[in-house]
Parts: sequence; structure tokens; C-alpha cells
Amino acid sequence: MNLIKGFATTFKHVLEEPVTLQYPEQMKPFAERFKGRHHLRRYDNGLEKCIGCALCAAACPADAIWVEAAENSDEQRFSPGERYAKTYEINMLRCIFCGYCEDACPTQAIELGHEHQMSFTDRRDAIYTKTMLIDPVPEGADGTPREVEPGVFTRAIPDMPDAK
Amino acid sequence: MAIPVKDDTKLVTVKIDDKEYQVPAGANLVDLAKWYADNDIPVFCYHPKLEPVGMCRMCLVELGSIMRDRETGDVVLDDNGEPTVRWFPKLQTACTQTASDGMVVRTNTEAVDETRENVLEFLLTSHPLDCPICDKGGECPLQNLTMEHGPQESRMIYSDKMHLQKHVPLGDLIFLDRERCIQCARCVRFQDELVGDAVLGFHERGRRLQIITSSDPGFDTYFSGNTTDICPVGALTTADFRFGARPWEMTEIPSISPWDAAGENISLSMRLDRDFGGRAMIKRVMPRQNEYVNELWISDKTRFGHHFTRSLDRLVEPMVSFGDKLTDQSWNDAYKAAVTALEGASGDVAAIAGGAISNEDLWELRQLVEGLGGSRLGAWPPTHGGADLVAEVGVGQDTNLKELGAGDAILVVASDLEEEVPIWRLRLKRAQDRGAYLVVANARPTRMEEFALDTQRNDKPVEGAAVRYAPGEAAAAISDLKSSNKDVYDRLADATNLVVVAGADGLDLDGNKALMQACANLLIETDHVGKANNGLMSPIPGPNGMGLHYLGYTPEVTQDIVANPPKVLIVAQAEPAEDDPTATEWLSKVDTVITLSLFPDRTTSYASIVLPIQSFAERDGTFVNGERRVQRFYTAQGPLGEAVPAWKILTTIREKLGQGRAKLSAAAVMLEITKNVDVFAEMRYKNLSQVTRQFPEIGGDDLYYGGTAYQNRGGLGIQIPSAADSGKVKAGKVASVKATKASKGELIALPITELYNRSNAFMPSGLVHARVAVPYVTLSSSDADDLGLVDGDLVEVSFEGGAVRVRATVGDVPAGVALLPQHLTDEPTPIVPTVVTLSKIAQPVLA
Repeated sequence: MNLIKGFATTFKHVLEEPVTLQYPEQMKPFAERFKGRHHLRRYDNGLEKCIGCALCAAACPADAIWVEAAENSDEQRFSPGERYAKTYEINMLRCIFCGYCEDACPTQAIELGHEHQMSFTDRRDAIYTKTMLIDPVPEGADGTPREVEPGVFTRAIPDMPDAK
Repeated sequence: MAIPVKDDTKLVTVKIDDKEYQVPAGANLVDLAKWYADNDIPVFCYHPKLEPVGMCRMCLVELGSIMRDRETGDVVLDDNGEPTVRWFPKLQTACTQTASDGMVVRTNTEAVDETRENVLEFLLTSHPLDCPICDKGGECPLQNLTMEHGPQESRMIYSDKMHLQKHVPLGDLIFLDRERCIQCARCVRFQDELVGDAVLGFHERGRRLQIITSSDPGFDTYFSGNTTDICPVGALTTADFRFGARPWEMTEIPSISPWDAAGENISLSMRLDRDFGGRAMIKRVMPRQNEYVNELWISDKTRFGHHFTRSLDRLVEPMVSFGDKLTDQSWNDAYKAAVTALEGASGDVAAIAGGAISNEDLWELRQLVEGLGGSRLGAWPPTHGGADLVAEVGVGQDTNLKELGAGDAILVVASDLEEEVPIWRLRLKRAQDRGAYLVVANARPTRMEEFALDTQRNDKPVEGAAVRYAPGEAAAAISDLKSSNKDVYDRLADATNLVVVAGADGLDLDGNKALMQACANLLIETDHVGKANNGLMSPIPGPNGMGLHYLGYTPEVTQDIVANPPKVLIVAQAEPAEDDPTATEWLSKVDTVITLSLFPDRTTSYASIVLPIQSFAERDGTFVNGERRVQRFYTAQGPLGEAVPAWKILTTIREKLGQGRAKLSAAAVMLEITKNVDVFAEMRYKNLSQVTRQFPEIGGDDLYYGGTAYQNRGGLGIQIPSAADSGKVKAGKVASVKATKASKGELIALPITELYNRSNAFMPSGLVHARVAVPYVTLSSSDADDLGLVDGDLVEVSFEGGAVRVRATVGDVPAGVALLPQHLTDEPTPIVPTVVTLSKIAQPVLA
């Protein structure tokens, strides 16, 4: 009798839809607030949001972020304010994806996205540089650095409306 | 200022927040609350080194005094038997109050808290919120005090803030952000009161009040960087550091200024940098407090001149010439070549060392030369000769120039202190403000003379006198002061304390030695030796001019080496061929020149072996400053290329020559010095790095008060006692000096010093280039007429060993003399008074 009971359970499950996903061909949808790999955002006009203030680096509990700042000029403009990040690097081996950098950012320049598939065969590959982190230039906008009319960007931190 | 207390200070009782303190009468309330009661009264406009003005209203406190009966003078008691306090009806600014008996202060009441909150809210109504990108963010008094005392939220509309210019260059070195300025006037007052270059001012009124510079070029002073330190907000920032790093990201390494005899204590702010190969580099140079040496200030040369430490022009590989060309070699081969050359000299080895080399290097070099049987150790440049007299009758133990004041006197002879040792000029000018009698003697006008002749500053009468002597007659002018200028002599003789600064401006070595002896005699005759705040100082070039003397290097020997060149000459961190046009001649007579150099230069082109050394930033060491204070500097930056500290090169060569085991650290070398040189007996590194509490307290939590000058964690240094400190000294004979004579049609060129110049070490600091003078020669109007020259003419100045093309300027100099600044032209110019001829160069007329 027990034998039949056991087989009944087995056969019941054979007919059920399997829960196993064929990763990586198939992927589960992410929660909206999942914290994956970082993105450096741009404004709609293509300028970088990051002002190189290094508050993300200061907030980082894993000491994974390295920022070096430099000054914008109207001939070589990266961001709307006075200052931009000349070097921006995140060591993904150190990063614990806590999102403190996102919280610390005064311009919402850094955001944690949904990418999570990061594997490295070399420690150096784990260091994501600014070019790897920054979003592509929006369609129709100019890239950075760019030359702008003098007198347009005079504020230290831009009052520009958020692109979102 | 009467903090810290001395034995004779009158003490009064002051009650702060219900606790009684014994404090010096007349001390500032903010200072004493901090020093004695550990009570930080917040301030923006008040600074312990500046006169109080009570402008920012941040320091308001409740103030009262204990009531006394008018007739009996007894304290009036209330019903509980406690003394009755008469309170001011309104709050008072603490910074404008001085301690008096029976003073009662409350800083912890609701009224005080509310006022602090209101003042901050008011300041923030027009202050931008760009702290994330502000260079001051993180060490900003406004930020800190807002967090501590400010309102929790703003009642103002953010978009309604004042918008002013954010990027105003005040000169080439300092940027002004008009929005951030809170109008405390610290910078204006620093320039007016302390420096005496009144180049900043307020413009317009009310909310539009702003800082402007009134000089051309803008912010024309040698001390501009200090205003960025004392600015309580990020309104003034340096062009050098701008956005270089955040303050919390940097590591502070204590160091000593590598430029002049003052030995300013500095702090090197280090951070790793991608552009420097991911290694630590100097991001900025900040002052480090040493109340005996530089207080809280450094000169702009020290602050902005650090770029040579990582210059691409630096020597990074040893070079040896096997035929006629220097080629890069490994250290092994370079050592081998050096050992072979030294062994082949059969004892005819001599050394010349510059003033920027550390004591450890000098000791190893001396051991090397003496170990080989040589004895000649020369100091470069051979112009300043009085180091032995500074060792004898130099300023006494515990001298502090900031204690000079009313009743004291200062004599500055043959020195342009502003250009030679800016910090001494700042502190001595300050002493004059406090009432010291300043006498300046020179053959030409100098900045210090302007101060001596000024009769009033900041609404206070100041006293001084100027003596002009004929060129080259400095020693006679001082020896004959008693007969020729009795008034001045009497005032110097009768002064409570007398400090004499004697240099070599417009003199050769003999002239300088005679002058130093005359000054020493003056001090001995008038009994101004062997006690604190009395004695002799000399602006010997380089940070270690006195170290050269104590370790046995003299300019006389340099002259001997020049006259009788040795077989092998070691030139250690000196650039004779860059300084002196005649050096090429005697250098070529030496068989083998071995140089220990930072840069490839004219001298290294005469060398067969060139060994790259490390700069002050890359290594440990000690310097002896002009007040004979031995001070220690620490390793901050990684080495550049293959460069090695000079002591290490020398100790390795010594080992290879069989002179014992090589030493492993600078500390070990210093330990050996302490055992062998008496005056250094106490100077172990451990002792040199000791620190005591200093007034005013700065740094850390006290940023709001003293600015961003750094707390001293590297040591105050130890002063070597002068001979007069430990016993009697006798006056010596002043040698008569043979004056340089010029025949008709010739002039005598007096070499003068410019602080900003085109020397190899200063050139890599590109930011300051704009401030380096166009090469010029100054001559009297009569000579200019004779030669048919007018201001701005291009002239060729020819002298023994070369010629330079410079602009002629007509100025207040004696006839027959031309002032020719050193290190402004690419070619060397004379280092001692020299006969020159001037010829005008016709220029094409521009259409």
C-alpha cells in the first residue's frame, strides 16, 4: 500500500511544471530595487552627472571606490558643474553591493543596476573604470568632453532637473 | 598675549560656566576659555594671531562681573551668601573681551545657544550648498560649527539664494568664490596686520560686500596661500590644489621646507594618484604649527614650489662617462666607477656640499673624504661666511621671534629678507608692530627698509630707521655706527633684547665675514648675547646652512678648492656651474667630478660620475635652521626611478672602500653623529620628534579657530646652544675689506636674490612661473644717462665667464653699481660683486 502511495507522489510531480530555470538561457525577473553593478548616469543632454566629490568613496564600507577629480573648463566640459571625475574606479571584488554609494551621491550620478553576472579570471579585470561604468550618450546628444558656450554652466553643482 | 603663563604674569580669577579659573590678566576671553576651561566658544572672524574685530557675532556669550561695594571695595553678597553678579543687559562678543578680575561668563545658556543658531542661519541664507565639491568640505569651520550649533533645518527658500561669481582669480595662485565668502575679513586683516601687504580689501556694501584685490598683478604678496588656511569657508582656495583630493583622503606627513634658513615646518598632504603611476604624491603643502619657527604660516614658495619632487627632469638613473659621454649605468657599475676613481686619487679628494643637503648626508660625505685621507670640505655657495659666528653668538636658547616687542630692537644688515627668508621678514615686521625698534642697513632699497621707514601702521605708531652705506662698506657701517649714527646705536645698545640679521647682499665672502664679525662685536659690546631673544642670525642659502658649519664644511675651503682643484671632487647637491659663471673654468681642471644631483645641469656635464639622489620628500633626514634648531623631516613620497638618498650612496661607497659596514637607515647615521659631534649629542630622532602643547591650539576639532594649519605631530626640533649660551665670548677683530673697483665705463654688478627665480628646483612649479620676474638689471639714473639707457631697454651685461641679455630698469641705487638678480637668466650670473660692462642692444622697431 505504501508502495503505491509513494509512486503516486512521484507520478504527481512528473506532471507538474518544473521550477528549475535553464540559466543562463532563462532568467528570473529581478525586483525593481535589486542592487547589481553600478552605473554612472548622464543627463538627457549627455553631460555626466558625476561631479567627482568622492562622497561615494567616503561612504563605501569596503573601500572599493577610487575617485580623482579635476576641473571642468568650457573648452573641455564633462559635467555641468565646476568639477568632474577624472578617474572613477570600482573594484568589484571588494564591492559588497550595499548601495551606500547611491545614498551618498548628491547628484544621483551613481546607481546600482541589475547586472550581476560578473566573473573575472584576473584581479585587474575586476576594476571597473569610468568608461565601463558610464552610460552611453543618449541619442541625439553630444558626448563628453565637449566644448560649450562660456557663461552657460556657472554653478558649482548644477541645478539641472534630473533626467529621470 | 599672555598665554601660556610666564612667571611674571599677573593672574586674575575668572568664572566660566560656574567654574573658577586663574588666568593671565588681559588675555582674550576666547583664547583663555579654550586654553584653561576647554570651552570652545565658536568664532569665524576671530583668529588668535589677529586683532579681534567682533564682526561675525558668532562668539556672543553672557557676560557679567562680580559686584563690589563702591566705598569699601568688598564683594556684595546676595541673600544666599553668594557674590552678586551684575550682568550685561545683552550678550557680548567674547572675542573683544579681555580677562579681568571678577569676570563671570556663561556659554551654556539658552540665550547663547539660540544666538549661535541664529547667526548660523543668517550666514547660511546666502551660502551655497556646494560642500560636495568644495575644497574646504571636510575641514570647514562653517560646516563643523553648523553641525554643532546650527539650526536643524532651514526656513529659507533654496532657490532664492544669492548667486555671485564662483571662479574669480585673485592673482595666479588663489581663487575666490564670492558666494561662499561670509565676510569675516580674516584674509584682509591677515594681509594688512600680519604681512603688511595691504593688497586685499572689501568692495561694495551689505549683501554685495565682496573681497577684491587692489594690486597688479593681483594678490601680489609672498604669503597669499596662508589666507586659504585661515578662511573659515571655501571662499579662498589655491590654484595648485584645486579639486586635488578631499581632505579626509590625504595622509599628512611632517616635513621641513627645503628652501630657506627659516626651516618652516610643513605638512605634506599625500595621496595616491593615477597620473603619478598610482603612487603617493604631494597634493598640497600645508603649514605645520611650530611657534618657535613659523607659527602657523608658510611662504608661497614653500607652498607652491613642491613640484620639483616629481619633475620629469629629475635624474633617475646613475650615469657614468667612460669616454666623453655620460651614459646610464646600473648602480653596481656606478659604484664600481666611483670606487675606482676615489681609490685612484691617492688621498687628493675634496667635497663641496650645497645648503639643501641633510646632516646625515654631510656626515657620511665627511667620513668618506676623511677616510680617504682628504680633508677639504667646502660649503656652497662661497658667499655667506658667518656661520661660525652664528654658532658662537647666535640667538640664545628658547629664542622666539614672536616674543620681541616694545623695548626690543632688530637690526637687519645686508639682507633682502623678503626675498631671502620670507618668514623671518614676516615675524620681524610683526615684532616692529608690537613696538620693537627696526633698523635696516643696506646699500640699496629693500622691502624691509620700507617697514623701517614707515611711521604708522594699522593706526599705531611704529619706529624704525634706515642706514644706507656705500656698496661693499657694510662692515664699516656697523663698526662705525657708534660714531656715525649715535642715536641709532644708542637705541640698539639700550634695547632690552637685540636680534641682528646679517646677510651677504651685495658683498663677497670677505665682506660678509667682516660684516658678521662687526655685528657679533656689536652684540658682545652691548651685552646682547647668550640669552633668549638676543643674538645673530644669517640668511645662509638653503635649509641647512648651519648644518654645513656644524659638520665642518666652510666657504673658505670652497675658495681653496677653486684655487687648487683636487684630483677627485665630490659635488653633493650643489650646482656650482648653474650659480657661478666662473665655475666652468675650475671644474674643468678637476680630473674626476662625482656629483650627487637631483637634476642634470651644467655641473653634471662636467662630471664623469653622476649619482641620482632623492629629494627631501622621499627620505628621512634633519636640517639645522638659521636659529640653529635641528628639525626632522619624514619620508612622504616614494622614490623616483633609481634615485637613492645621498647618505645611502655615500655609506655604500664607504663600505666598498673598506671603511666599515654600510648603515641601513638615516636614524643610524644620526646616532653616529650624536656620538661623534658634541653639539648633536641630544639630537637623536626620538628626541627631535617630541612635541609639547602649543598656544594656540589648532587642527582637529579646533579648525574653526586657527584655520587648517596642521597640528605638529612630527616634532618641534631642538636648538643647538650657542657658545655664548654656555660661556663668555670675546669680540674679534673686523678684517679690513678690499672693495671691488671698477674703471671708467664699467659698473660693479651686485648679485641680489629673487625669491621666485628660474633655478632648476623652482622651475618645475609651473603655476608660479607667471610671478618670476623678467630678467633685469637695475642701475642708477646717472649711469643710465651715461650709457644712454632708458627703462625697458635690452642690454647685454658682460662679465668674466659670460654675458647675459636682460632688461634695464632705472632705480634707487648708488651710482657705479648695477643690481643683477641671480637665477633669473638661463646662464649663470656673478655670485659676488663683479665688474661688468653694459651695452645696449638695438631692437627692431615694431611697426
